[in-house]
Amino acid sequence: MNNILLLEDLPEIRAWMKALVQNVFPNSIITESARVHDALEQITAVKFDLALIDLGLPDGSGVDVVAALRESQPEAQSVVVTIHDDDDHLFPALQAGAFGYLLKEQARELIAEQLNRMSQGEPPLSPSIARRVISHFASQTRPQERPQNIPHVALTDRENEVLLRVAKGFTLPEIGVQLNLSRHTIADYVKQIYRKLNVSSRAEAALEAQRLGLFRRA
Amino acid sequence: MMFRLILAFALSCFAALPTPAAAAPVQVITAAASVSGDADRFPQEAPALTVALPDDWADTRPRHDGSVWYRVQVDRPADLPANELLALYIERVCSNAEVFLNGHLIFSGGRMSEPYTRNCYTPQLVTLPVALLKTEANLLDVHVQGHALGRVAARQRAGGLSALQIGPQSLLAGAYHRRMFWNVRAVQLDSVVLAVIGALIAVLGWLHRREAHYGYFGWLALALAFLSSRVWMHDLPFDDSVVEVLTCTGFAMAAGLGVQFFLSYAGLRSREIERALLAQCVLVPIALMLVGPGRIFAVGSLWYALLAGEGLAAMALFLHVAWRERRSDFWPMVVILSGIGSLVLIEMAVQHDILSPPQWPLFHIALPLMLIAIGLRLLQVYARAVQAAEASRSTMETRVQEITAEIERNFAQLAELRVEQVTEKERKRIAGDLHDDLGAKLLTIVHTSESERISTLAREALEEMRLSVRGLTGKPMKLADALADWRAETVSRLGQANVDIDWRSPAEEVEQLLPARSFVQTTRILREAVSNIIKHSGASHCKVRCAVHENQFGLNIQDNGKGIPMELDGKLDRGHGMSSMKHRAKQMQGQCLVESGPGYGTVIRLTLPL
Repeated sequence: MNNILLLEDLPEIRAWMKALVQNVFPNSIITESARVHDALEQITAVKFDLALIDLGLPDGSGVDVVAALRESQPEAQSVVVTIHDDDDHLFPALQAGAFGYLLKEQARELIAEQLNRMSQGEPPLSPSIARRVISHFASQTRPQERPQNIPHVALTDRENEVLLRVAKGFTLPEIGVQLNLSRHTIADYVKQIYRKLNVSSRAEAALEAQRLGLFRRA
Repeated sequence: MMFRLILAFALSCFAALPTPAAAAPVQVITAAASVSGDADRFPQEAPALTVALPDDWADTRPRHDGSVWYRVQVDRPADLPANELLALYIERVCSNAEVFLNGHLIFSGGRMSEPYTRNCYTPQLVTLPVALLKTEANLLDVHVQGHALGRVAARQRAGGLSALQIGPQSLLAGAYHRRMFWNVRAVQLDSVVLAVIGALIAVLGWLHRREAHYGYFGWLALALAFLSSRVWMHDLPFDDSVVEVLTCTGFAMAAGLGVQFFLSYAGLRSREIERALLAQCVLVPIALMLVGPGRIFAVGSLWYALLAGEGLAAMALFLHVAWRERRSDFWPMVVILSGIGSLVLIEMAVQHDILSPPQWPLFHIALPLMLIAIGLRLLQVYARAVQAAEASRSTMETRVQEITAEIERNFAQLAELRVEQVTEKERKRIAGDLHDDLGAKLLTIVHTSESERISTLAREALEEMRLSVRGLTGKPMKLADALADWRAETVSRLGQANVDIDWRSPAEEVEQLLPARSFVQTTRILREAVSNIIKHSGASHCKVRCAVHENQFGLNIQDNGKGIPMELDGKLDRGHGMSSMKHRAKQMQGQCLVESGPGYGTVIRLTLPL
């Protein structure tokens, strides 16, 4: 992790986060930002490996930064750092391409550990987020109704299985034991779920835009 | 039904037709000496002609207009009982007559100079005074004032004298009364009924001007009833020729109204016909006055023929439309209208001397009856329409009530929804403010405080705040989802603290909903219990059992730790949060029982209503 974007409007918290990130990734270069506008400029100039993005900012929502980053730097990992733990706030960020989320008030060690896990490709997944993902895929437009140029994304049976178990309240390690899968395999499934959620959400948004006539079909 | 009744009535009328007067001992005189002249007494010196009775002037003296004397000789019947009066019965004398017995005036029907009293339809019964009556060779003079046929519009009003009948008064009275009934009373009755129905329907027509046929029929009936007034009024303050012109004009108006009635009842309307009918009402009197009094009958007959033709055409047109539209009253109307048509044709034939006049005034009795039948039919239609309107009104009322109720319901729902929306918005605003302001400050304390205790307190306060906001804004959630969330959190926390966890939830689908506040409070209780296990119990194992029933659910949390020391429990708490757990359970109308003993671990039994 070399280039890290830190988007946070409260100076004290930003300083605290910066110290924490430097602790976890000692050799990283941290670009700080307090506003959506600044962050959007910075992602056009610098190539980031990791972005820690607050959601509620004075001039807008961090979701826009997540989406912009997903668009311009697909390999960069966006992690939402927020005070909101409810999925009404988290889910749009995940749809926009965030790879995970951290709750700000958690203890330093806990955040450090989660950050570590995420950087190693093990994003978290709570039951309520899992339920949202399930209902998102369930309510998707049927493939035959989709225009040709809009890709259709579906979850595999395994991914569905993992999602269902998470939704029922089982933790990822428990599911690994139940399905006789390694911790890495489970983490891969979760990553796939996040990726597909993002692709599918973007397709849905494009479809919606097309329905509204915002652009012509190619 | 109504038509059958009328038919029955008509038949009974036929059954009651007057029978010829009794034969003997009534003496029927069929010849008389006759002298035309204006004298006060029978002009003895003038040459008398013997004429046959009945003497219709139209046949015997076509151009004569004015006065004619008739003289007959009468013997007193020998077998006349002493207590019986002798009477003279004149079935018809037109227009008026005086009777002299042996030179003495014994009867006068009214005015004998223009305008004559009009007694053409009235039979006369004259009692012959005993004092003037000789045994034989009594001279009976009848002085008749009448008009030539040319000066009247109807043959019935042309001058003439019927056969004279002389006999016992008791016998002749019967014939007289029968004649009186059919010639006068029946027509009067008819015209009264017709006038009443006509007035009623005219009022209906006035109230419902779009249903023009009511108005036309009402006025038609009233006009015909008025034309029948000749049987009421014998003395009119006009010259007889004026009365004739007025009568013709009246029939022209009646015919016009009739035509308009049939046209509008058939749903047709023509401005041209309306104008022509109006013009006709003006042209009839003008034409009659132009030709002068001597040709009233000829011109009147022409007009009558035209009027009859118009009426018949209108009736035929109406029947055609009724048949085409398959109206329910087509056949009854066919019966009535063909009756009216036949009456009109018969009357025309009588006027033109093709048929001899019937014994009784068929036209003037039967025509009103038929019109009454039509009027009753119209009233029936009207009554049915009123009934239908009433029925549809009550249907509408019910419908309106239903719709009103529905609107009220919808409105209430909308208002409720609106209140919900506003409340939801306000809650979201409060939640946002709490997060942004209070949350940010608490967070700053969490991460900047030097003291671990203050930092922990601030973190707990933040969690509390978040739960409060969730209780404020959250929607009810499925109990199954809540159980999943609790399980994930509990398993994850205890796992990190190296405590074994055995969590069992109902395997089958749980359908019940949990209010947001209950979810929040239960989350707090569970969190507190887990915190206690991690911080204080020193337990290595924890069992959680969830039981969901129809309207309550239970959560048992059991650990194998060292339990809560008595003195702590007795003093309620000290960091174990037992009292706040119980308090929260109570807030949800549930209960939270804590069983604990040193060395036996702790069991927390939470029961909540759903």
